[in-house]
Amino acid sequence: MTAFAATRATFARILSGPGGIVGTVIIVLVVGSAIFAPLVVTHDPDALDILNRFSGPSAAHWLGTDNLGRDLYSRLVYGARVAMMVALFAIGSALVVGTLLGMLAASLNARGERLLLIVFDIISSFPSLVLALAVVAVFGPSTALVTAIVAVTLMPHFGRVARAQMLTLRHAPFIEAERLIGASPVRIALSHILPNIAGPLVVLASIDIPVVITIEAGLSFIGLGVRPPLASWGTLIYDGYAYLSDSRVPVIVASAALAIATLGFTLFGEALRDAVDPRLDREGR
Amino acid sequence: MNPDLPMIAIRNLKLDARTEHGPAHILRGIDLGFGRGRIVGVVGESGSGKSTLVSCLLRLLPSNIERLEGEILFDGIDLLKLSPSDMNDWRGRKIAMVFQDPMTALNPLFTINTHLRDVLKRRFPQISAREARERSLAMLTKVGISDASARLDAYPHQLSGGMRQRIVIAMALLVEPDLLLADEPTTALDATVEAQIVDLFDQLRQDFSGSIVFISHHLGLVAELCDDLCVMYGGTIVETGPVAEVLARPRHPYTRALLDCEIEDDHGGRLATIPGEVPSATWAMDACIFASRCAHVADICRTGPTALETVAIGHKAACKRSREVLP
Amino acid sequence: MRETLRYVASRLATTFLIVLGAMILLFALSALVPGDPATALLGPAATPEYVQRFIQEMGLDQPWYRRLFSFMANVFVGNLGTDVLSGQPVTQIIANVLPYTFILTFTSIGLAVAFGVPLGCYAATHRGSLLDHLLAFVSVAFIAIPSFVIAIFLLLIFAIWLDWLPVMGAGEAGNWLDQAQRLILPTIALSVGWIGFIARLVRSSMLETMGENFIRLSRAYGLSNRLITYKYALKNACIPTLAVLGMGVGRLLGGAVLVEIVFSRPGLGRLMFDAISTRNFPVLQGTVLVVVLIFVLTNLLVDLSYAAIDPRIRRQGSR
Repeated sequence: MTAFAATRATFARILSGPGGIVGTVIIVLVVGSAIFAPLVVTHDPDALDILNRFSGPSAAHWLGTDNLGRDLYSRLVYGARVAMMVALFAIGSALVVGTLLGMLAASLNARGERLLLIVFDIISSFPSLVLALAVVAVFGPSTALVTAIVAVTLMPHFGRVARAQMLTLRHAPFIEAERLIGASPVRIALSHILPNIAGPLVVLASIDIPVVITIEAGLSFIGLGVRPPLASWGTLIYDGYAYLSDSRVPVIVASAALAIATLGFTLFGEALRDAVDPRLDREGR
Repeated sequence: MNPDLPMIAIRNLKLDARTEHGPAHILRGIDLGFGRGRIVGVVGESGSGKSTLVSCLLRLLPSNIERLEGEILFDGIDLLKLSPSDMNDWRGRKIAMVFQDPMTALNPLFTINTHLRDVLKRRFPQISAREARERSLAMLTKVGISDASARLDAYPHQLSGGMRQRIVIAMALLVEPDLLLADEPTTALDATVEAQIVDLFDQLRQDFSGSIVFISHHLGLVAELCDDLCVMYGGTIVETGPVAEVLARPRHPYTRALLDCEIEDDHGGRLATIPGEVPSATWAMDACIFASRCAHVADICRTGPTALETVAIGHKAACKRSREVLP
Repeated sequence: MRETLRYVASRLATTFLIVLGAMILLFALSALVPGDPATALLGPAATPEYVQRFIQEMGLDQPWYRRLFSFMANVFVGNLGTDVLSGQPVTQIIANVLPYTFILTFTSIGLAVAFGVPLGCYAATHRGSLLDHLLAFVSVAFIAIPSFVIAIFLLLIFAIWLDWLPVMGAGEAGNWLDQAQRLILPTIALSVGWIGFIARLVRSSMLETMGENFIRLSRAYGLSNRLITYKYALKNACIPTLAVLGMGVGRLLGGAVLVEIVFSRPGLGRLMFDAISTRNFPVLQGTVLVVVLIFVLTNLLVDLSYAAIDPRIRRQGSR
């Protein structure tokens, strides 16, 4: 089966269940808003209109306005952009570094492997949000920093999976055959092992997306992530929460947007996992 | 109880499973009977329905069963007509089972003693923990486990495959069943351990009053151990009779071919194979089940399914050309 | 027995290594503070005398390996340093709020297990029932939605809209009813996701176990359904649940930080947040270390109870 046909078959399986369909619809909306943000917004997300603060949903402001009269819908759209950027860069770098380290661990001698695994364990022993708090306290809040911290804390996931997959693959007949004809270990790892372990890694990456969104929003919510006036779902929730006594609309709208997005990515991730690896099927057949 | 009736009489047992490609005929009408104290060997390739046959005897079937017809008479009572709770009463009391893979047959989180005690308690509700332990110890010793007391407190992972299979056999014997089902009990074991387990079955039959159904794909093993032989192919029985008689004068080309495979195998020569493929389980069987692979196939074989016919006393075969081609 | 001892010893050694690594990491972080560490930590408003005293007290004029050594030596005798603002020992400050976080996280885990395990068992034994379908649907939602968002919704619905429960803070000291009432919403916010997660996990591992050969064997011997489900299968299904609980404590602690902030509850989260806002690095460092310690010790506990349940682990030694 060609890679294209395999991908198509996977998508067909994802779309075969209600969870996969709902998840796909939501992430298409979120990713679409993130990419085409300037085209789909109705207002400048940072344009102030103090006279119109806390206006409820209307034809002019679909979801109403916030404490400074900014259009909530437009800010949510740009919030999607921030969330997607953080997720993309954090998971992308965790995936690359983690996979390389994991494959390195599998090819090192026992002592080197153990050392790398202990490093993974140490990183994992920091709850990601707590590590993020510690680092933010030192360097001050910034989007780039949040991305880097999340990448570091996610890295061991990918490292462990890559290592485990490589260990099971190392003695597969087709790998042994490559070794016998004298292919270099690096070549074998890159051209034969990597494509074969890509599946579980991609699944892991997609399952990590909602986790990253949550961490970014959580940090921004307590003012330690994305800095205002940049719109992030976390800062939107914070602004809404701070002015709860004036209007309940902003906090409800922003929280709901975050909840729907994480739900969508979770549904999609699980549908993808089931589609790629039927053994992990939740039905437990 | 009518002494003339065999202990087990299976009549026209048919079982279909639901699949993507329509119903699969796993059992296509099985007729089989045997009396008390017999060891019946059931031989066939994988997919011949032999494992399903024992699952039917226990009525422990997967959930995708579409149709289950016929009768399984056990001392005159049709097991298929029993209510689920009545059927459960037969399990572990009148019927016991030894599974194929001893490595997965025991729960890794419980000691051997727990396994045996729970089974004993279900069979003999009055039994005390102490007596259960004593009986278990005696039975472990009987099935050839040394240092039984230490083994009883061991966890499954601490024991070898052969030892685990002895324990599963001990479990089966502890409940004193009338019918012991052994589903390829030696297939997952090393050759030397396999021989030991077969020896064990051979010794045990002295004290065992019930009957044993012994499933195997290894004809030589069955010849060594069993009284009766039943050859299955594609969900049907193609030949059945006393072991010595069937092996000396096979009346079905499939049995003949199996024997040839076995003989050449033993002499270290080229492994004989039977050309062709087993017909699909979804096939409607409008010809002899073996027609597609039979070296002696003729037009008459394609006129419809072939029924079992008596060829000698207690010996039946399902071949229309038996007399011509296997004189 | 010897197997068990060796296993415990190897797990203790790994735990020790992890704590050591965490300390080095925290130390490195404090060394990385950009610019002059004293001014960075104390803020630009500090007087030069104060900065000087701080540098000496913190040993900032010492070479880094000395500082690392004294930091570790102090931690091992339970000295996490002194809060530069209040002059109180950090250990004391943490000890004051620790019970609040403990109560919140452990009632949440307790609630998650108390509801998750029976729900999962029921769903596994009643596959395709209404509750099974409902659970499959609801659990994904609860797992996916961040706990602080759930906290906000709970606050809006039960405290503001319905006005059923008092929120904000941990309640009056000594007033048990008030404290318990104020614990309800934060606990629910933290645990609903875990209830769903544990229920799903128990369900799927129960179903997997139910397909195992040893369960078929139990059925073949006519053992009762109750015995098979609750004695044989549940124990097997507990193992993955335990593993998740260990990892979960970390996420739960992270979630607790945010939930504490939403409900203005005192606790480690609130303490960390305040320490960051006031740039009180010793307090933050100490708090983070305590959180890591709690997490690592919980995982040790989980691994040991794991070994108590599964005899195979004891033999394998460390992971």
